[in-house]
Amino acid sequence: MNNFKLFKRQTVNELSTFYSFLIGFIIAIIIGSIILLIQDKNPIDTFSLMLRLSVGSVNSLSSSLNKAIPLILAGLGISIINSVKLWNIGAEGQIFLGAIAVNFIYINTQFNNPSFHILVLLLAGFVGGSVCILIPAITKVVFGVNEIITTLLTNYIVFGVTIFLINGPWKDPNSLNFPAAAYVGEEVFLPTVFGKLSFGFLICILFTFLAHYLKNKSVFGFEMRIAGGSTMTAIYAGINAKQKAFIAMLIGGGFAGLAGAIELLSQTHRVSTGISQGFGYTAIIVAAITGMRPLGIFLVGSLFGALSIGGSVIQTIGVSTYIADIIQASTLFGALIIQFFFTYQIKRVEND
Amino acid sequence: MIDIQLIGLLNATLQAATLLFIAALGELITEKSGILNLGVEGMISVGAVTGFMTAINTENIFLAVLVGVLSSSIFASIHALVTVVLKQDQTVSGLILTILGLALSSLLGKNYVGRKLVTKLESVSSITEPSNIIEVLISQNIIFYLAVVLMISTSFVLKRTMFGRRLEAVGEDSKSSDSMGLKVAKTQFIATCVGGAFAGLSGVYLTLSYVPYWTDNMTSGRGWIALALVIFGGWKPYRTALGALLFGFLEALVPRLQTYGFELSPYIVKITPYVITILVLVILTIYKGGKTGAPRNIGVPFFRENR
Repeated sequence: MNNFKLFKRQTVNELSTFYSFLIGFIIAIIIGSIILLIQDKNPIDTFSLMLRLSVGSVNSLSSSLNKAIPLILAGLGISIINSVKLWNIGAEGQIFLGAIAVNFIYINTQFNNPSFHILVLLLAGFVGGSVCILIPAITKVVFGVNEIITTLLTNYIVFGVTIFLINGPWKDPNSLNFPAAAYVGEEVFLPTVFGKLSFGFLICILFTFLAHYLKNKSVFGFEMRIAGGSTMTAIYAGINAKQKAFIAMLIGGGFAGLAGAIELLSQTHRVSTGISQGFGYTAIIVAAITGMRPLGIFLVGSLFGALSIGGSVIQTIGVSTYIADIIQASTLFGALIIQFFFTYQIKRVEND
Repeated sequence: MIDIQLIGLLNATLQAATLLFIAALGELITEKSGILNLGVEGMISVGAVTGFMTAINTENIFLAVLVGVLSSSIFASIHALVTVVLKQDQTVSGLILTILGLALSSLLGKNYVGRKLVTKLESVSSITEPSNIIEVLISQNIIFYLAVVLMISTSFVLKRTMFGRRLEAVGEDSKSSDSMGLKVAKTQFIATCVGGAFAGLSGVYLTLSYVPYWTDNMTSGRGWIALALVIFGGWKPYRTALGALLFGFLEALVPRLQTYGFELSPYIVKITPYVITILVLVILTIYKGGKTGAPRNIGVPFFRENR
């Protein structure tokens, strides 16, 4: 009698993550098409419209890349924290607190040099993100409280604080219908470099290489991997695993906070609920789908940015924007399924 | 006056607790088998919207509950497929289940936002304004009593039946269970789908009675609080129920604080349950010194080494 058995492959193809992503994306497009067909929409027309409106012109391409900035930065933050085998589900909150920190510093300080002013505000965003993850980091390192739940819950807390600020102390009296804080002055707007493309994208490129270096080339990156691996190895190597985990979390949170600062200084120009539209959650997909590789996060983040722009513009023809979310999530599910075939082998064996 | 307020508080506590408890109990069963499903939020949402849609279209409340429960269960089977059959990372899969569930339910419910239900899940007794504790207890929604039944039967099944013992064995040590001849994958698959069904029941309770209407993201983190409740309850049904009552009480108390003379911003009031959840988790972890009662194999994919 023949029987099928599962074997773990000795070697896994180096490009398996890339292939899984590619096939996952195709699966997701098929799922998206089915949903569109159910809604009586032509998938080819819809997707080609999405493509044209997201990358078809300099303007739309730069909007797409602008949209990618928070996805990439938050994704990089998640990947750094994952080096110590911890999860950051709180990027959404960190983005908001980054923006809040920027506004707080903007209101309370005076600078004559605009470039220096912007630099200080970007730094404030980074620190804001770190502060946001401080409680989950302390409770994880000191008491061992599950960081997945605490980082997630901080999202709701920070969002509540944002709503409080823009309806209370920071409420702009000129903004009647839509609660928001007052606009920041034009002198601190991030400049554009090409079309509508924000200077933030250059920061994004810089931080991608920074994260790549930190994770893969630096001593700290090596120590993080050891700290995230076996406890005994870390002890033998004389590495303070808790300290590494703590620092990794603060840096990772800072990346997401920086995303919030860039969003405020280049897109919304004020604190409102529009600072993030679920970027922190999409960033989790971006980071996971690339196997936490910074360069991959940059590429997939750019693609998903375009997908989000495409998703938001097809609203005009009556297609729900959630189609973009569904395609992004399905891509990861598809990739996970394909990844199985790269790591395992199904063999037929003779039964005795 | 105080009495009526207290009665109202008790009533609201029980309702909020029911919602949290059913989802938490489902997750407890899933986690007992060694599978961590972070998709509770998404599963509740899917159950909530499919149940609501069925109720609007058919006006048949039992069918609505059934559809909600089944669709959440089927939705959970994606997680089972990816983690149990294909042995992929449970954290990633669960998280994406939440994101997918929220997006999918927003897409499905687009044309149902703001619509009014003709038939709701009703209370079983005819008492509309309970005046004492007994009357509160006997005038609850049918789902409340169902939750009590589920609590007792789950505890019984886990402790006293072969299925429950197998489930626990698989969650504690899947390798030994496998060599003893237990079907690890099958057990985990079923447990994940049962967890989804419970989340779906919690979801239909949300849209067919607790709120009752449909808007985007109306689960507002309850799935995550349910996950925290499992840890709080040390993976035990009765203790999880106790936790649900505590959190239900907080959810019910917070909007009432103003009537008791506390001056608080409603926006700050809204975040208190989340702050308290974190505090409770911290206190609990310190108190138990790391011995949380978690199944030993949780989150570890089972793979039989073939030679």
